[in-house]
Amino acid sequence: MTVVIEYPEWDDAVAGLVRKIERLDISFMGRTDDSTVNIGIFDIYYIENVERKMFLYTKEQVYRLDGSMPELEKGIAETSLVRISRTCIMNTDHLREIRQIRNSHLEAVMDNDEKLIVSRKYLPDIKKMFKKGRV
Amino acid sequence: MKKILRDTCILSALMILCVFTVSIFWVGLTDEILLVLKLFLLSFIIAVGNHFLDEYLTLSLIAGYIVRYIAATAVVMLFGFIVGWFYPSNFWMAFLYVGIVLMLAFFIDELKTRKDIEFINSEIKNRENEIADGKTLNKQ
Repeated sequence: MTVVIEYPEWDDAVAGLVRKIERLDISFMGRTDDSTVNIGIFDIYYIENVERKMFLYTKEQVYRLDGSMPELEKGIAETSLVRISRTCIMNTDHLREIRQIRNSHLEAVMDNDEKLIVSRKYLPDIKKMFKKGRV
Repeated sequence: MKKILRDTCILSALMILCVFTVSIFWVGLTDEILLVLKLFLLSFIIAVGNHFLDEYLTLSLIAGYIVRYIAATAVVMLFGFIVGWFYPSNFWMAFLYVGIVLMLAFFIDELKTRKDIEFINSEIKNRENEIADGKTLNKQ
């Protein structure tokens, strides 16, 4: 893929746009029992930490990921991935809706109908992403 | 308006802290200055506790506030007894003070959460519409 950007003069907005496009190239190495796969950022639905093991979920597959949550968080700045709880990072590209369910819990509904629990603490971070126009 | 109120509170806290800290050099550690410093220390302890509750508990809004109420009251009572704010006869005031503050925080939090959800969902709708428009243009 080749992206051509035309601009009257180089400024922060153009630099930000270039950074975002560069970030589209980020991928993760996911492992299954018998293979290792390169997974592009758009294919990721969410990443979950279960008992100190990282799992990456795409629309239909689950992969093991190396690394830890803090390491991962460092690498996802300026992408559509955002932390939504202590153990989960969600791709907002696939977010269909956020809703308040019974007991005032928050739930993110993904475009494959999967539902993720959102911690209230991270709701402002999700909002910030949409405000910045990162999504 | 919300931002102005928040900024006012932060600025007031900073002004009080700066003025009283500078006053220590002129008039020493008076009771008033000591009270302000104790209040800041108490706020710091509660903020740290709140941070850890947020990080490690996934509870409903109401359950979360009940846990916070119990934890904050315990901290305020303990702190109050140590620094001499409360006596066995008036320790119940801690329940009242913490209750009032948390009640306000609860309603503000609930309102803010609803507004944030509305904003995010409307942005998602806009994004979906833009994608749909783009697809229509491509077809044309």
